[in-house]
Amino acid sequence: MARLRNVAVVGFAQAPIVARDEHRIATEMLYPEIRRALAACGVERDAIDYQVAGSADYLDGRPFGFVTALDVMGAWPPRQDLHLEMDAAFAAYYAWVRMQAGDCDTALVCGYGKTSEGEPRRVLNLQLDPYYHAAIGLEPVATAALQASAYMARTGVTDRDLAAVAARNRGAGARNPDAQLRAPATAEELLRTPWAVEPLREGYLPPVGESAVCLVLAAEGKAEAMCDQPAWIHGADQRIELQTLGARDLTRSAGATLAAEKALAMAGVGRAGDIDVVELCATTPAEELILCDALGLEAHASSLSPSGGPLCGHPIMMTGLIRLGEAFRQVSGRARARRALAHAAQGHCLQHNLFFVLGAERRWA
Amino acid sequence: MSEPPREPVKYVETQVRLPYHYVAGDYRARYLRALKDRKILGARCSRTGKVIVPPFVTSPESFAPADEIVEVADHGVVTTFCVVNIPVRGRQIELPYVAASVALDGADISIYALIQECRPEEVRMGMRVEAVWKPDGERQGDHEDIRYFRPTGEPDAPIESFINRL
Repeated sequence: MARLRNVAVVGFAQAPIVARDEHRIATEMLYPEIRRALAACGVERDAIDYQVAGSADYLDGRPFGFVTALDVMGAWPPRQDLHLEMDAAFAAYYAWVRMQAGDCDTALVCGYGKTSEGEPRRVLNLQLDPYYHAAIGLEPVATAALQASAYMARTGVTDRDLAAVAARNRGAGARNPDAQLRAPATAEELLRTPWAVEPLREGYLPPVGESAVCLVLAAEGKAEAMCDQPAWIHGADQRIELQTLGARDLTRSAGATLAAEKALAMAGVGRAGDIDVVELCATTPAEELILCDALGLEAHASSLSPSGGPLCGHPIMMTGLIRLGEAFRQVSGRARARRALAHAAQGHCLQHNLFFVLGAERRWA
Repeated sequence: MSEPPREPVKYVETQVRLPYHYVAGDYRARYLRALKDRKILGARCSRTGKVIVPPFVTSPESFAPADEIVEVADHGVVTTFCVVNIPVRGRQIELPYVAASVALDGADISIYALIQECRPEEVRMGMRVEAVWKPDGERQGDHEDIRYFRPTGEPDAPIESFINRL
């Protein structure tokens, strides 16, 4: 592995996930988080070279909706900027790539969007092929249920197993002040919730939620002054799979397997089991089990998603970036994890997977 | 591949309907409510003191919070304008009409407004104008509460007074 530039996550701020913020539009939710993230780094806006945001215009309900965020991102004097119609974790990946190219030393990465203002299931139906898949009304819960059903058939995993995965996340989420679902729930309770789309019960799915997040990246030489314990990026990789659902084995995530393998190799880590904390972007219990298989982790491994994961809060377009932010908190905060793995996913049935490996020490000498 | 069918399907119709329910947000709610009382509100930047209309959470220019709500005048100066000769969807306005940026007295950025009660060729940068409100009892707390702006007949404002408030 060639020597790369040491880049770290040095700041993160997140609005607690809520069903609907009645008092603020999306940009008004984002603005205080940018200020909090910068304040935590002890810098003014002018100290940041580059900015990238992730959001979805269809969720905003207007074309080029992302430009409204420029008014709260401190985009004056004129800045270098990029917007991705992707989970903001991919914006962090892009900023990291720019830093590897030496284009910038510091970056703001923002994710925002008021999921509650539109109807996300209708919007994400349109993400599918318009002739065959979207036309019959498939949307993320239905495609996730197809995946869960196939996974249960192949592996023998039962409804009770899914409930146990959801219950573990709910228990962890009860300790996360930014989570939307903060009441723990037992597997027995979740087993009694009605079917959303069988074999997925309502208790196995995240509620609609919204938030705003800002993460700060900085390269070696700048990062040290901005954070007492930077979370250095040791590895990163992302892989996308086919759009046609029928052409994929939905019970396995080849993309997650490959992306994790590459990211861990870059980090010099032999296997995911050697990582202290693994934040997974799993929006159903079946997805979590498929990701565990992809990573070679035991289901219910003690390292899994101490935040409670997306099942306790899933603000679309920033759920992945929140995983990276949670991994930063684990390495940089009191938990003092030595290494953390952050996963982000987007598209139906884990179509696109991204992994970051964070570590407390610099990766490259 | 065999021959295509004699009567091929040429088109597929896809109907997309996406409803949205936007929150106004506290800033807009206060601004719109004030229109009902014939008042126009702005927010003062905590760093530069500039007043942004309509009020917004931050000054986009300075990045500082703008959390002090202030009232500005319902009259000001035309800073730039255009004469519209094409119909606008959803609005019944006689053509041609003048769309202008108006810097209200007390505001540091301009708002968009219609200029009426004068001929389009009479409108000029620096012209003093005032809001024509809907009558009492008819104002709803929306942008239609100001029907348009009209000339006041006062002497024109010097360009230095508005060139930075376009």
